[in-house]
Amino acid sequence: MRGARPAPLQRPGEGLARIWCEAGDLFFTAALTLTLLVFAAAFDKTRLFAQDYAILSSGIIVYGLSRYQKKPDVFFLAVLAIVFMISSRKNDLFHGLSLVWAVSVGIVFFQTCFLGLRHKLLFSRLPVSMKGWPSLCLLAGFIALVLRSLGRLVF
Amino acid sequence: MKLPESLFSRMLLAYLPFMIYPYGFFRAGVAALWIVLFLWITVAFFWFTRRLFPDRSLKCAFLLWLIVWAQAVWTLTKLPPYWIASVFFLAPVSFLEDTAKAGHVRVFSREVPRSQYPSIGAERKLGRSQLPFGKRMKKLGRYFFERALTGIGFAGFVMLLAFVREIAEKHLNLHAFEQPAGMLFLIAAVAFLWKNQPYRRRR
Repeated sequence: MRGARPAPLQRPGEGLARIWCEAGDLFFTAALTLTLLVFAAAFDKTRLFAQDYAILSSGIIVYGLSRYQKKPDVFFLAVLAIVFMISSRKNDLFHGLSLVWAVSVGIVFFQTCFLGLRHKLLFSRLPVSMKGWPSLCLLAGFIALVLRSLGRLVF
Repeated sequence: MKLPESLFSRMLLAYLPFMIYPYGFFRAGVAALWIVLFLWITVAFFWFTRRLFPDRSLKCAFLLWLIVWAQAVWTLTKLPPYWIASVFFLAPVSFLEDTAKAGHVRVFSREVPRSQYPSIGAERKLGRSQLPFGKRMKKLGRYFFERALTGIGFAGFVMLLAFVREIAEKHLNLHAFEQPAGMLFLIAAVAFLWKNQPYRRRR
């Protein structure tokens, strides 16, 4: 099993570009899947499959798209989760696409902050006992706190 | 990049979908037990049917298996399908890959040696083991023991976090625990304690 390639900490510029590319891929894949689901639901013959078997149909579409782009399995799972979360709210297509855009921007914001803070940690005297998961979870927690507050202000 | 190999890292990643579920202690426990049960079924299924799949389709079959079950469980119980991410993260790193190296897995600060063929893919690549039946059974037992330990550890971890969340949210009225941030802080504390175990520090 393969995870996503991490953004390089030593070259933050390159990492930033990769974060934007990945988020763009995620947005287009999720948007295309949502659009295809809406189209499938518009026809009588495919409506049953698109609505009653939404997870199966979107899973097959997302899997095909992520294989075509040679993306890792984590990308496939992330897009599938986003598509399910949005399609289960029964929004219209435009609202669904705007939600996908908002999630992609949130991911870019989170990963950019995460990369910047991890880069800063490289040059700080972090105790050995805090390195690894403890510091990563703390950073993620603080960013999540900020994102939640921003989300409450915007939405 | 490979996904992290240590048991603790995999449990942390597998817990992430539980941040989306708005479940209390009981329902989180039931969901965790279902995930563990499904993980064991998956591991057993792919172990015993591995020769039926062509080489390249094994990984595809694994992901398709997850999607089909996610759909079935959603239809029957309305459990959102995020749990398949937990199963994915709990499944052994080299589960279906053709890595032939026998690695070591850390469990409670001790290294547990993997079996001769650490993955289904490796066994496929190297051919059937020529070991005597008794030794083969012993290795098979170790293979399933590691997976069983992962499942039990994950269920315990989820129940512990769900219990602390319930206490902090309902009895102490800490609003940070109503959102993922609170759980991430809690996981940071757990990770700190895990990393600084007395046994590991003595070495």
